Formats: sequence, structure tokens, C-alpha cells
Amino acid sequence: MELIQFIELDLTGAILLILIGFVGGMVSGFIGSGGAFVLTPAMMTLGAPGIVAVASNICHKFPKALVGAIKRHKYGQVDVKLGLVMGVFAELGMLYGKQVMTGIKNEFGAVGTDLYVSVIFVIVLAIVGTFVYRDYRKLKSQPHSEEHKVTRLARWVQSVNIPGTMVYFPGAKARISLLFVAPMGFATGMLASTIAVGGFIGVPAMIYIFGVPALMASATELVIAFVMGLGGTIFYGLEGVVDLRLAMLILLGSLFGIQLGAIGTTYVKDYQVKLTMAVIMITVLFSRVFYIPGYLSKLGLIERLPDDTLRVLKWAGDGVLALALLAGAATVLTALVRGMAEHRRQHEVLSDTQGIAQ
Amino acid sequence: MSKTHTPWGQTLLWGALVALLYWGLFHYQDEIVRLARTTTDACVVVANGETVYYTKPTPESCAEKGGTLVEGNALNVLVPIVVAFIMSYAHGAFTAMFWDSLGLKAAQKKS
Repeated sequence: MELIQFIELDLTGAILLILIGFVGGMVSGFIGSGGAFVLTPAMMTLGAPGIVAVASNICHKFPKALVGAIKRHKYGQVDVKLGLVMGVFAELGMLYGKQVMTGIKNEFGAVGTDLYVSVIFVIVLAIVGTFVYRDYRKLKSQPHSEEHKVTRLARWVQSVNIPGTMVYFPGAKARISLLFVAPMGFATGMLASTIAVGGFIGVPAMIYIFGVPALMASATELVIAFVMGLGGTIFYGLEGVVDLRLAMLILLGSLFGIQLGAIGTTYVKDYQVKLTMAVIMITVLFSRVFYIPGYLSKLGLIERLPDDTLRVLKWAGDGVLALALLAGAATVLTALVRGMAEHRRQHEVLSDTQGIAQ
Repeated sequence: MSKTHTPWGQTLLWGALVALLYWGLFHYQDEIVRLARTTTDACVVVANGETVYYTKPTPESCAEKGGTLVEGNALNVLVPIVVAFIMSYAHGAFTAMFWDSLGLKAAQKKS
């Protein structure tokens, strides 16, 4: 028999989850897609096993993704066809990823899933964080480079013609072979089933490999997130590991935060958003690094560490994660307050100038 | 920025609805956890007032723990999906109205 425990929820735990959801939502709204990456580690820090944290995070996200997709579709930002096609392959990736996760759970128990989720987090955040930081430097030095340019790779992908597999995608304004779309969708789903954030693959793939503009890629990702999130909730739900209480407490804070973060982006420069994203990613990465020796020790993969060492490592991991959340919240709120003050000042100057002119 | 805001009365009405939904969720949390854990076959062990759910049980291993074997019901998986949709819709509407009532709006043009 297996024991995967849901965490005991007291008032402190509930308040912490709401606050974590608020900060996670704020970061999510501020940086666009993929902001939920702070939520899975935070739930694990509160004691939820990796598999429960991922499943509950997926459950809280999919209705939000649907609402977001409908809103952005009204602005003409969504390529529904691309979203649904990638969503179908993402669903297969989600199913495969869930099989891997449950395989690890069956073989190594809850600690095995903790280790697996943490290692994937560290690798993915290191890669994505580096790219985001590079983008920040580029945007800061060349502010006009943010205009959409189709990459050489995307131009090549769009030029390949494999009969019987070609589909026209309005977002890319080109016919693209399903043989390119399928693996990207699959990888997006697989990553989502592992860390609850598939956008780290889906969005860059749409921009750099298919040639979809960034704004449209992040909006189309919401369709994929909805399709695979719904599937993921069903797959993980059938394993009995979706903790609806965790999901809804995260949602309670997250929906307050996401709208505040989204408002915040309209007051800041794009490179500031990228810097925030990179800093939080790297900080969360380091927080996970501290937990890994403990998991390895519990699984007997390294020599057993003394309890004091484990306590210190956990304390360090918790501390660094708290720092990441506080830094994220402080950055978004500071940007929002400064931006609004600046905006108001500009309006006052404009009104004064118009008053003098009249 | 636009000067029109959502009236506080409307915001508070949605807030009350969301509060009611969350009250319901936590008032019935034991039942919700039971539904989630018995989507698949489970061995339910009650000890010292605490309920523990073991998955992948066999009658022998469950009897050894002094638990009750419960047959899983796959339809329970609909519970988180339906609840998440309803709460996300209601709370999403409330939070949008909340920030709007406070006068916090997106800048029309990036500064």
C-alpha cells in the first residue's frame, strides 16, 4: 500500500497558501505566462508531496487559463487552431509525464516525486532564467529590438514542405508541418505534468520555431494550458492526488495578485519585467537546490545526513524561497506604485500645458 | 485613466458569494478530501481521530492496518473540475470588480 498524505490545513497554513497564491499570481500577471512556477515549490515547502503540489497547481490553473484565453481572443491575440492542435499533443505529453511521475511514486514513494520535481525545476529554471536574463540585457541596450522578427529557424521551419502534414496557422501566417508542432506540444505537456508549468517550452517554441509574435504566443499558450490543465486534473484526479483545498486557497490569493500584476505591466518597461522574471527564477532555483541532498539522503542514494544538517538545509531552502516570494512581491508593487505616480505626474503636466495653451 | 469605477455594493455582493463558496468548501473539507482520495481504490484507516488514506490496497494489507477497503469511483474526478470552474468564475469576477472599485486600472498607454 502507498501513503501519499494531503497536508493538515490550519489557519496559519491557509493564510500562508493565500499569500503564496497572491505573490504567485502577481508574478504570473506581471511576467505573462509561466508565473505559476513559484507555486509548486511553495506548496512543497509547506509539506505537500511533489505529486500533490503539481496536481493541485494544475487544477487551480486551468479555469483561469480558459477565462484568460476568452478575454484575449476578444482582442484577436489567440491562434485558436494552433492552441488546440498543440493542446492535443500536449495532452499526450501530459499523460506520458503523469505516467512517469506515478511510476516514480510507485517505485520510490512521495520523496521520489519530490526529488524528481526538484531536479527538473533546477534544470529548467537554470536554462530559462539564463535566456530571460539575456533578453533583459538585449532589451535594455536596444529598446527597439522587441519588435517582432521571424527567426532564421522559424523561416526554415515554415519553408519545409512535408506533404500530408501541412497545416496553415494564422498566428504564424504560414503553413507548418505537424511533424514540428507535435513534438513541441508533447514536450510542453510533459513539462507541465512534471512542474505544472508547460509555458516554458510552449511559448518559446511558438515564437522562435514557428514564427508566432510574442503577444500572440503568450495568448495562445492559454488555450494549450486550458486543454492540458483540464486533462492533467483528470489524469491526476484519477490517482486521487488533487487536493482541491490547496488549489482553491492558491486560487483565492492568485486571482487578486494576477490582476494587480497585469495592471503593473502597463506601467513599466518590458526589460524591467524580464529582469524581475530572471531574478525570481534564479532565486527559486537556489531554494530547490537546498532540498535535493535531503531527498537523496531519505531515498538512500547518498550517505544518510545527520538530522541537524537536514534541518539547516530545509531552513536555507525555505528562507531562499521566502526571499524569492518577497522579492517578487516587492518588485511588482514598487513598479506599480512608481509607474502610477509617474503616469499621474505626466497627466498633470499635460493638463497644465493644455491649460496654459488655452 | 477612466474615472468610472464598479460600485462597491456590486463588488461586496460578489465578495459575499465568494465567501459563501469558500465557507462551503472548508465546512465540507473532510468530505471533499474523502471524495478525492476514493477516486481510486483506497484503504481508509481512522486512528486517534485522524483519517489516513492508503492507495493501491490489498484486502490483506488493509486488514493488517485495521482499515476499511473502499472501492474507487472514477466519477469523483468531476468534483475538482466543477468546483474549480465555479469558484474561478465567481472569484475572478469579484477580484476584477475589487481592484476596479479601488480605482486601480491599467495605464492606457505605456509610460
